[in-house]
Amino acid sequence: MTAVRYVIRAELTKIVSLRAVWLVTGVVVALHLLVCTANAGNTADAVSEITPDGLIELFAGERRPARPALVEFLVASSFQMGLFLPAIAAVAAGQEFRSHQLGRSLLAVPGRTRLIVAKTVAIAGFLLAVSVVVAGISGAYMYAAVKDWDPGLPVSAEAWAGQGKFVVFAVLTGLISAAVTILAQGTLAGIVVTVVLMALTLTQVAAAYAPALDALLPLSAGRNLLLDPAGSRLTAGAGHALAVLVAWPLVTMTAAGVALNRRDAA
Amino acid sequence: MIEIAGLGKRYGAKTAIDDVTFAVRPGRVTGFLGPNGAGKSTTLRVLLGLDHPDRGAALIGGRRYRELRHPLRTVGALLDGAGPVPERRAVDHLVWIAQSNRIPRRRVWEVLELAGLGGAAKRRVREYSLGMRQRLGIAAALLGDPEVLVLDEPVNGLDPDGIRWVRGLLREYADSGRTVLLSSHLMAETAGTADDVVVIAGGRIVAQGPLAEVTAGHASLEKAFFALTGDREGR
Repeated sequence: MTAVRYVIRAELTKIVSLRAVWLVTGVVVALHLLVCTANAGNTADAVSEITPDGLIELFAGERRPARPALVEFLVASSFQMGLFLPAIAAVAAGQEFRSHQLGRSLLAVPGRTRLIVAKTVAIAGFLLAVSVVVAGISGAYMYAAVKDWDPGLPVSAEAWAGQGKFVVFAVLTGLISAAVTILAQGTLAGIVVTVVLMALTLTQVAAAYAPALDALLPLSAGRNLLLDPAGSRLTAGAGHALAVLVAWPLVTMTAAGVALNRRDAA
Repeated sequence: MIEIAGLGKRYGAKTAIDDVTFAVRPGRVTGFLGPNGAGKSTTLRVLLGLDHPDRGAALIGGRRYRELRHPLRTVGALLDGAGPVPERRAVDHLVWIAQSNRIPRRRVWEVLELAGLGGAAKRRVREYSLGMRQRLGIAAALLGDPEVLVLDEPVNGLDPDGIRWVRGLLREYADSGRTVLLSSHLMAETAGTADDVVVIAGGRIVAQGPLAEVTAGHASLEKAFFALTGDREGR
């Protein structure tokens, strides 16, 4: 265990000492700030117009109880950035296939299983930190919008639960991207496969014709886990969604580990 | 001590090495010579656990490389296909390698100074010349102060001062009772450094032994090499 701890530390150093990782992370955070800023005015206006019976109109013509609607809006705000976080994981994992770094990594850590476990933990740790920042930004903007109505909303139990689910989703989907990158031996391939998986959800093709199949897609599982069934059409329950989100990185990372064990170093 | 016995490796239909057997003794610099595509790099990659052998065994101190717990403290290696990411700073490249094998951080600065890169440690590798990259690779090999050094073409891209540094380093390593395996194309360089030589051609070992024994009957190591590898220059 101690030996793995040192390899995890080394893997974290690899991630944080790579400029490309910070570049992509910076773009994701900046995009989130931009989107939050763009929505801030509308959200504040909607909050100021909450009716005496507690209804809010966040989207035109759609009146809902304010508190759950705002919590869902908060979580959805973080969730939309979850679409971009896998790119960070792909860049972090894909560095092994640049300039034959994998060879150097295997000279340092010849035990492939140990290397893949350490890499998984390190990438998960970095994604955790970034997703907490994303959740924090969402919370701060929500606080600015609701501070005169219910300043405790961004730190309410419901908000914590929702943001926690977002963090779980962000880390697990990021790991899928990292695993695919290792399997395909390239950052671009990892990003492309992740985008295709997301597109299957975003186009709603599977949801329309085979909801059970749709529920097995990672992004759909994210929606099913995070969003309120009252406000969104979902294809499975939260328990099913969590199982799907855990199974994807487990299966893909195991496959990546097997491939790394069987292949010669690139 | 490095022991390679009956090692074989194919890439698809192509046999890269076949029944490769030799030993590298402590206290000696062993030159590993062969033309391009002869199987030198494959042998080293299998020895260092990067590629899987189809048959045979490659042992370092009686164990496979993959079985070593902190391999860099036993074996230091410089291989062509194991480089740093260019956008990373040299010092960061060495720091993660050191961390992975529980090597103290101060050792990173020691090897950077030793390799003459102390002043350029915080520069990104992409800004390095070929010679500086080679020095960085050698610094990485020295990180764990290993008992065994395996270096593939270590003087590639080095200036005369760098070549002299490597030559002295290898001599010093061997004289302190440690094991040095040096793969090279450069006959004159190898003749000036190696105590023993192993010659590989077409994936098979064609000669091995003390330098004087292998070159006996030839005017130079270069002549002996061409004769052994079947090139007409040696006849």
